[in-house]
Amino acid sequence: MTTSKPLPLNTCRHGGCTLTGALSATTHVRDAATIIHGPKGCAHHNFSLFHATGADNDGIVIPDLVSTGLDGTDIVFGGEPVLARTIRSVAGRDVKAIFVISTCVIETIGDDVAAVCGQEYGLPVIPVPTAGFLGGTFQEGLSNALIAIAGSCGISPAAVPAEICANIIGEKNLEYEAEENYAEVERLLSLLGITVNVRFIRNCAMADLSRIGAAQVNILREPELEPAGKFLKHRFGIPFQPSFPTGFSGTIRFLESVGRICGVDSARATAMEESRQADTLADFEDLAGGRIALDPKASPGSLQLAGELAERLDLSIGTNGRKVPLPFSPPIGSTGVRRLLHRWRCAIHA
Amino acid sequence: MPECDNPLWPCAMTGAVACLAGFDGITVVIHGSSGCYYYPATLLHAPLEGTFIMEQEVIFGSEDRLREVIGRLAGNGKRAAVVTTCVPAILGEDIRSVLASHDTILVDSPGFSGDLETGYRAALDALSPAVDPAVPGVNIDGLCLLDPFYRGNLQEVLRLLRLASVPVGTIFCSDAAENVNHASPYTIGTNGDFSSGVGEFLGGTLGLDTVTQTISEVCRHIPGSDPDPVIREAEREKERVIRACDKFLRRFDPPRVAIFAGLAYARFAEEALRTWLDADILCIGARNDPGSSPEYITRATGMNEVKALITEHRPDLILGSSFEQAAGESCGFVGIVPPLRGRVSLAPRTIAGTTGTLSFIENVLNECMDHRKRTARGT
Repeated sequence: MTTSKPLPLNTCRHGGCTLTGALSATTHVRDAATIIHGPKGCAHHNFSLFHATGADNDGIVIPDLVSTGLDGTDIVFGGEPVLARTIRSVAGRDVKAIFVISTCVIETIGDDVAAVCGQEYGLPVIPVPTAGFLGGTFQEGLSNALIAIAGSCGISPAAVPAEICANIIGEKNLEYEAEENYAEVERLLSLLGITVNVRFIRNCAMADLSRIGAAQVNILREPELEPAGKFLKHRFGIPFQPSFPTGFSGTIRFLESVGRICGVDSARATAMEESRQADTLADFEDLAGGRIALDPKASPGSLQLAGELAERLDLSIGTNGRKVPLPFSPPIGSTGVRRLLHRWRCAIHA
Repeated sequence: MPECDNPLWPCAMTGAVACLAGFDGITVVIHGSSGCYYYPATLLHAPLEGTFIMEQEVIFGSEDRLREVIGRLAGNGKRAAVVTTCVPAILGEDIRSVLASHDTILVDSPGFSGDLETGYRAALDALSPAVDPAVPGVNIDGLCLLDPFYRGNLQEVLRLLRLASVPVGTIFCSDAAENVNHASPYTIGTNGDFSSGVGEFLGGTLGLDTVTQTISEVCRHIPGSDPDPVIREAEREKERVIRACDKFLRRFDPPRVAIFAGLAYARFAEEALRTWLDADILCIGARNDPGSSPEYITRATGMNEVKALITEHRPDLILGSSFEQAAGESCGFVGIVPPLRGRVSLAPRTIAGTTGTLSFIENVLNECMDHRKRTARGT
């Protein structure tokens, strides 16, 4: 991407496809199938992406992804019969539900996907509002999928909580460090005596999702998932923490906030975490007095984190410093910061 | 088109981009949404541009946005090549007239128009390659940025031509754009699935005998060239392959193989394994149209077709992509078609030329032996 980068007014041009966002959730329901209504290429793009992500994370799970395989003729005469035929075919498999996701091509030709999904197939057929790029961005696709699944799968809000627990909402399943980020949040929650109830949605079965109403708090992966957080709050009465923790001070605030929501005293947990952070800073005190350069195009969250670390490690920031890596999404929790500091040390010593 | 489970092969738009992005002097512009842009951008590791259209352009027309992007690119010294995606193609806008005032190439290659090869072909046709009888040497074709052997094949064939004192014409598709219209009258190939159709085709470079025949044929047409160094090298390496495979067969049974790839690589692998290892080729699942092939060669473009073939034939060795590797976890595996995920791959790898055959056989033998060890250990 070079000169055709959009002007600031058009930053949403780079928001990706709702299809990919929705699929990043639906493909993690392991006993459901997802139908992509559109040309075969759209399904391949996404299948290839999920395959790559799985391979990077040492666990290749092949999602049950079916394309309606629309061609030029279907586009001229309409794709509804093809979708109905595909749903009937997939309904004959050993799956608990079918998610139907539509592409921009379908939105353009005007197929009534909801009407086709509304017919009787003998199992839940859940249309997820997507429409490729015509339905919004990656983020909206993910949010819509979470809402559609939460709203349509017979989830019981009457589950009785046995212990204080949290749901994890909208993990970035395409993220390279997704499992490590989850592990960090799980560790932090354990400091508060809180367990994880449901990972909504990562590597789960339809039956797992029915437990979602048992949690005291929903922890959103990032603030952009607020629509899903609000939907779940409305449906189950569960308040939400708007984001995973980022940065040292953000991690402490996360513990305090979750503790407050769940009625747990967080003083001991925050003291333990501050001690851990102090140990980390001591391990990297050799960096003190150095000068680093930051990519001004980095995300605001990452720049904020870099500023905090520079201050606490006595690093100065300037264009003539050593350029240090800054991920688009700030690292999660104190452990994420520690990993970032290892990368900074390599960059500074390179 | 019937429904398809987990489609394994990219669309025509990606094929067109893979072709055009191989040429210096061309700026590839994907006319479509960011979702369509990201896939080829991440897959091909080539600089690409996009119009990143949004809903408003679908409603009010995308011409202005296309004009904006093309206008911004004007003056960068490169010719823009616009590749259409599905939605702009359906909208039926007169993109050609939008581009008329600019020196641009239009490739109408939406995803629904076909597979990778369809788009690659459409893009190459749009470039209007032409032979220039005054250009010496031979062209090299069959190179596609998507192919994991792309860089290695190019290096290997350049090495062989140098060894035979044969000048190089145009390289399809990895060359300066201006050379497309000044191709040599003769062409040799690295991968028949992406043949250019430019000039007189003198042969391929997959397999030792093919290399010998092709270079000999080339040297019959090119004054001052000499095939002997290549022929001697191929004979020498053939002996090494025979010895290594013979040694393997003293201890092990021949592998029972399922091959998944484009037809050109699949047929090369089949012949090599039958010739050197007396392998049992159980099936070939071709990514592209197998044409009038024997019965054991079918088209396999979805994951369920791949799984069915593996379940039916129970191979002990699979050649394919990491898709097939995932589908046949208990089998030995050698990668010959993209994607090859889950491993770091930095150095160029070749399947063409003498080095390509050596590398291929080496990988197969090592994997067969390693797989037996893994099986014995129960891991």
